[in-house]
Amino acid sequence: MEQNNSLPPFQGLASPQGALTPVMPMFSPMMPYGSGLTPQPVTNTNSLSLLEEQQRQQQQHGMPGGSGQTPQLYHSQTVTTTTLPGNTPLYNTTPLTPMTPITPATPASESSGIVPQLQNIVSTVNLGCKLDLKTIALRARNAEYNPKRFAAVIMRIREPRTTALIFSSGKMVCTGAKSEEQSRLAARKYARVVQKLGFPAKFLDFKIQNMVGSCDVKFPIRLEGLVLTHQQFSSYEPELFPGLIYRMIKPRIVLLIFVSGKVVLTGAKVRGEIYEAFENIYPILKGFRKTT
Amino acid sequence: MASTSRGDVLALPKVQCPNHPDAMLVEDYRAGDMICPECGLVVGDRVIDVGSEWRTFTNEKATKDPSRVGDAQNPLLNGGDLTTMISKGTGAASFDEFGNSKYQNRRTMSSSDRAMLNAFKEITTMADRINLPRNIIDRTNNLFKQVYEQKSLKGRANDAIASACLYIACRQEGVPRTFKEICAVSRISKKEIGRCFKLILKALETSVDLITTGDFMSRFCSNLGLPKQVQMAATYIARKAVELDLVPGRSPISVAAAAIYMASQASAEKKTQKEIGDIAGVADVTIRQSYRLIYPRAADLFPPDFKFDTPVDKLPLL
Repeated sequence: MEQNNSLPPFQGLASPQGALTPVMPMFSPMMPYGSGLTPQPVTNTNSLSLLEEQQRQQQQHGMPGGSGQTPQLYHSQTVTTTTLPGNTPLYNTTPLTPMTPITPATPASESSGIVPQLQNIVSTVNLGCKLDLKTIALRARNAEYNPKRFAAVIMRIREPRTTALIFSSGKMVCTGAKSEEQSRLAARKYARVVQKLGFPAKFLDFKIQNMVGSCDVKFPIRLEGLVLTHQQFSSYEPELFPGLIYRMIKPRIVLLIFVSGKVVLTGAKVRGEIYEAFENIYPILKGFRKTT
Repeated sequence: MASTSRGDVLALPKVQCPNHPDAMLVEDYRAGDMICPECGLVVGDRVIDVGSEWRTFTNEKATKDPSRVGDAQNPLLNGGDLTTMISKGTGAASFDEFGNSKYQNRRTMSSSDRAMLNAFKEITTMADRINLPRNIIDRTNNLFKQVYEQKSLKGRANDAIASACLYIACRQEGVPRTFKEICAVSRISKKEIGRCFKLILKALETSVDLITTGDFMSRFCSNLGLPKQVQMAATYIARKAVELDLVPGRSPISVAAAAIYMASQASAEKKTQKEIGDIAGVADVTIRQSYRLIYPRAADLFPPDFKFDTPVDKLPLL
C-alpha cells in the first residue's frame, strides 16, 4: 500500500510514465496511477485479475486522447500526460481509466463485498513408483494402514494440517489444506517422507481436483421461494437434507444454501470458479431474503 | 374376424352403413350385431361375442372355473405380448418320467419384461401394506416403466427404483408419504430411496411440489385417534407457525408433529411425545426441539374458535 502513499508527488509533476520506467507495470499489482483504485471497494484480492483489468484498460484506451471518457477528478492529470511527447503508449495512455469499476460484471448492483473462504482442497499427485505400503506403515510416523478396511496408507502431517491417502500404485491423494499453495506444499512433504523411506519418489502431475469454500450472506433466505423459481437447478428436500442443493451450470459448482444464510460452494478446480459462482448466486439470494 | 366398430386405420375392411358412411356403428354384443344408429340397419352380423363362454353361478362349487380366456391384459404396461404358457399338468398322463419331472415347465414368458413384471408385483405388495388406492399404484407402475425403458438407472436395484417411484407417485397425487413410511414397507434404506428419488427426478425431468405440514395431518391424527377438532387445530397451528417463521429450517414433519402435540395437550385427548414420534417417524427429542420453538407464541397459534381443555398457560413446557 505504500505505493499509494507515494503517489501524490507524482501527480502533476513528472510524467507518471517517466516515474514508472524503472518498474514494469506488468509486475506490480498496484499501478501508481492506480490511486484511483483506492476509493473503490477492492473486492478482488487476486492480483491476477487486477493485471487482466489493467491490460484490458490499456487495450481499450489505445488513444491518449481518450479524455472524453475520463472522469473529472484527475482532469489536470490528463492534460499533462497527453502533452508529454515520447510517451510509449504501452504503459498508460489515460491514467484516469482506473475510475471505471474493477469488476466487469453486475451492471445493476455492485459486487457483494463478501469473499468466500476456502475450507478444503483435494489434490492428487503421482509419486511415479510402486510402493510397499506395509513398510511405509511400519516405518513412518502418523501412518495407519488397515488393508482389510481400505487399500491405502492414511498419513497425516501437522504443518499444513492435512491427510494423505497413499496407494500402492504410487498415486496419492492429499486432503485438508486451506489453500492451493499449502496443498502443494503438503503433497511435497508427503513425497519427501516416502522418499526418505527409500522409495524413488517423484512429484508428477500434481493436480487440484476439488476446492470447497464457504461464506455467509448475513441474512436469512427463503429456500421455498428459491426452489420454486430455480426448479431446474435446485433440489430442496427437507426430509433428506436441511439445505438447498443448487447445481450451477456456468461455472460447474454445487452450492449448499441454508436458511441461516450460510453458503457452501464445492466442485471447483480453480479458486476463480468459487468466486464467480458466489457472485452469480448473490443477487439471486438477495431476491429471496426473508423480510421478517 | 375383427370387429371394426371404431373404424381404425388398419388394412381391415371397414364396415359402414351404406346409407350413412360416416356414422359410428354401435356394437350389440348380445346379439352379435353392428347397428347403424341413424337408420337402425344391421350392418355386420356374427360379430365375435366377447362375453364369457358359460355362466357360472356362485352356488355351484367354483373350484374349477373352466374359462379359457384368463386374466385381462395390461397392454399399457406389458408391451402387449401374447404368449402361450404351458402350465403343470394335473392328470396322471402328464409325462411323469421317473416320477419327478413333468412336462417342460412354462418357458420364459417375456424375458425382457420379467424384471418389470416382478417390480410391478413388488409395487403392488408395498402399496397394499399401506392401503394405497389403485390410482397411485397405476401411477407408480407408469413411472417405473418410464424409468426402466430409459435405462439411465439400470444399475440400481429394481426394488429401490420401485420404492422411489412409489414415493414420487404419492407426492404427485397430492398425498405425500414420508420417506420413513415408504421405508417401513420396503426393504431398501431411506438413504438409497432418497438417492434413487433424486436420480429419477433428473432422469424423467420432472419435479415435485414441496411438502407442507398440512399434507400429513389427517393421516397422523387419525392414526393417533384424535378427534376432528384437534386435527383442525393442529393443522392451523402448523400453518401459522410456518407463516410466522417460528421454525426456520425445520422439516415440515417435525413441525407437524410438534403442532399435533400442542393441540392434543390443549385438548382432552392428550398424547405423549413418544406416541406422536412413533406415528410420525420423528424422534421425540425432535418434537421437543420444534415444540420449544413454537411454545412462546402458543397463544397466537391456536385457532380462534378452539375449545381449550387445558388453557394455553398450562401447556406443558418441554
